[in-house]
Amino acid sequence: MQEIERYSGRARAQHWWIVVCSILLAITGMFLFLSWFGPASWWGYSRLVHRIAAVGFVAIPVIYALMNPKSTLEWIKEAFTWGKDDLGWLKSAPTYYFGLDIVPMPPQDRSNTGQKLWMLVVILTSIIFVISGALMWFFKGIVGPGVFQWAVFAHDVAFITAGAMLLVHVILGSVHPRFTEALRSMVTGKVTAHYAKSHHGKWYDRITSGKKA
Amino acid sequence: MAEKSILYDASKCTACRGCQVACKSWNEREAEKTTERGTLENPPDLSPQTWLKMELREVGNNGNLRWLFTRRSCMHCKDAACVKVCPTGALYYHPLGFVSYDRGKCSGCGYCKEFCPFDVPRLDTNRGSGLGRMDKCTACTTFGLDRIDEGYSPACVKTCPTGALTYGYRETLLTTGQARVQELIVKGYKNAYLYGDKEVGGTHVLYVLDDSPSVYGIVENPKVPGAAIAWQDVIKPLGYVAVGLVGIGLLLNVMVARAKMLNGKGEK
Repeated sequence: MQEIERYSGRARAQHWWIVVCSILLAITGMFLFLSWFGPASWWGYSRLVHRIAAVGFVAIPVIYALMNPKSTLEWIKEAFTWGKDDLGWLKSAPTYYFGLDIVPMPPQDRSNTGQKLWMLVVILTSIIFVISGALMWFFKGIVGPGVFQWAVFAHDVAFITAGAMLLVHVILGSVHPRFTEALRSMVTGKVTAHYAKSHHGKWYDRITSGKKA
Repeated sequence: MAEKSILYDASKCTACRGCQVACKSWNEREAEKTTERGTLENPPDLSPQTWLKMELREVGNNGNLRWLFTRRSCMHCKDAACVKVCPTGALYYHPLGFVSYDRGKCSGCGYCKEFCPFDVPRLDTNRGSGLGRMDKCTACTTFGLDRIDEGYSPACVKTCPTGALTYGYRETLLTTGQARVQELIVKGYKNAYLYGDKEVGGTHVLYVLDDSPSVYGIVENPKVPGAAIAWQDVIKPLGYVAVGLVGIGLLLNVMVARAKMLNGKGEK
């Protein structure tokens, strides 16, 4: 079957390195929410791991962006490009995702509306994580206690938001029957032409019209 | 169990700092090397090694110079911000009301210090690595060094030669303190005040002051920070609900979708 490249090797490497960092960050921060993670923090080494993972979490996208400025800008632009097809997608999404009926979904670009929502969550919460995290790490005792207190608050709000949305991202990307090739594409980088056509019509038309006219 | 407290009567204190020494001695804290700062007040600040220090103030009062002494240590709040934000359970309430501390559980995060309305906890946490621990007064309830459990008074109280520090049931000490405040008012100290009765919902260290708290350099109206309440009482419960609902929703969604679509009704 004909296959199309969806994610470059570098993009996939970036994705999975961020996964590693995020898992480490979540585990070492979880004691703030779930007391049975408490013992993991008792000697404080979780704090060191959290910091190392935080450096990775920031450094990996920065390195990727420096190596691939064009695709990074495209990705950001994509996240902020919204139109009427997105509204249509949101309307039909519940029926579509519960598999209740065959509903015509508006044609989607490289990323569909849901994926763009996730991209926005990632961008927004990352900014909050980095700013509040830097305040708590480098500026503790330099900024007043009020600033520190609200930085802790912001960090936790970002975690709850990102965590809840991450569940959606992971489940839809791996076991949901609508996304048969999502996980595979982030591993191998490729999707079948059929999947591309049915899930990302606009993107499929755009890349095929240029190449194989 | 009836709550206990420490009563500090500033009007009886001579700033001998026996309490400071006794605290270090009993709790196995090291002396700190300091430099002459032009004051008898020493060391300059609380630290992981100094859980209690006396502050000495020279205050002008109608041309008369007064030398005022203030105890600086944990206030052992009833509604303690540090206990509220401590993520590991290292800080907890003692059955007698004190804010006790299990050093072995401390992760060194320092939230207690940043949220304490009295700025009491101190840490030796390394800024780079984040490794370290907090320390503060435990009202002599530290494991292995527990005087309270043995029925003794805290070391600072035990050593106080002037009766400025007393230990006992909170209710009793409140009565004693109020009586002393009335006595001081009659003697002409119009602003005499019993601090800790109402502050942050009540503290387990009470101060008899012969002037207003601000003159003594004590926080006038201490409060549990709004961020602590917004975080612990609002956002955290909401977080559990939000993540729980999303999780349940997803589970249902995937189950329904799989059932429907594997029957061939849906389009992949």
